[in-house]
Amino acid sequence: MKETLLVKHAVSGRTFFDTRLKAIPYQVEPSNEGWLFSIETKRDENVEALLEFREELNVFIFREPEDEPVLKTWYYIKDGPVVYDDQAGKLLISAQSSIPYYPHEYSQ
Amino acid sequence: MIKVLPAAERHETDMGWLQSRPVYSFGGYQDPSRSGFGAMRVCNDDRLAPGKGFGAHPHSDMEIVSIVLEGEIRHEDSLGNNVTTSFGEVQVMSAGSGVIHTEFNASSETELRLLQLWFMPDVRGKAPDYKAGAFSVEGLRNTLLPVVSSKAGDGTLPIGQDMTIFLSRLDAGGELVHQSAADRKQFLYVIEGSLNASGTALGADDVAEIQRQEALVLSAVSETFFMLIDMP
Repeated sequence: MKETLLVKHAVSGRTFFDTRLKAIPYQVEPSNEGWLFSIETKRDENVEALLEFREELNVFIFREPEDEPVLKTWYYIKDGPVVYDDQAGKLLISAQSSIPYYPHEYSQ
Repeated sequence: MIKVLPAAERHETDMGWLQSRPVYSFGGYQDPSRSGFGAMRVCNDDRLAPGKGFGAHPHSDMEIVSIVLEGEIRHEDSLGNNVTTSFGEVQVMSAGSGVIHTEFNASSETELRLLQLWFMPDVRGKAPDYKAGAFSVEGLRNTLLPVVSSKAGDGTLPIGQDMTIFLSRLDAGGELVHQSAADRKQFLYVIEGSLNASGTALGADDVAEIQRQEALVLSAVSETFFMLIDMP
């Protein structure tokens, strides 16, 4: 199954991470009552811009089983926290809730 | 203080199926000096080709108002709403903790024109909500008709921000006065016609950002259709 992580700015649509375009190591695991995303990345200009918009992020996981439609899951970040762990070299994004959806189930 | 953003200086996006004139930074149009005004983050004047639209996508913590000016829009969302609205109707989606939705031109023949307005909510993380409602098109004439307001009532749709959206169609030579506290902001969008806002001339598609104006005097030069938003 193909899996994609996508992190975008909700207003501008600016893409911060898209593993279809550039593979990066990441993990998603349950944490408290939500999920914790750990993204291995340098603290570069892209990460600084993401942190500036930490309250306006759209975080998705796309899962595409072979011969089946893509299942998109959108994660609600609210207050995060969204932080960069300098020691671990990881961007940490905490999500509070999620909505899974199949795009084809909505009218076109 | 009244700052005019002339129509001629507005950015235009043409994607074939979508022609958009954003007042503030949106999508591929990014201007750090134009990231919003008061509680308003987005004001797009969109034209969608027949049958075209925005596929399923999420929103959160944003009050999103759609005002149809021409044609029909079909909205569907993860809350179970599937609603078509046309001129004389308004939609308010309080995205809160999250909603997935689509928006399409409901017609296979005619263009859709709508104003898409996004506002920061007064409280983040609320349960999402969607409402659509109608206003009296005849009731716009020579008055400031509230169509969306936190002080909901008498047919206005509620919104999760301390604000009111008025629409008006003012006869040539007509005059209206909007009173507001000095710490409030007003956003004026001339949809059709031309008017003077406390002495400042505005034509069709011009926008004005207004601050520290306790009495805003609106005088129509020609018959004018406009939107006025009072917000923090």
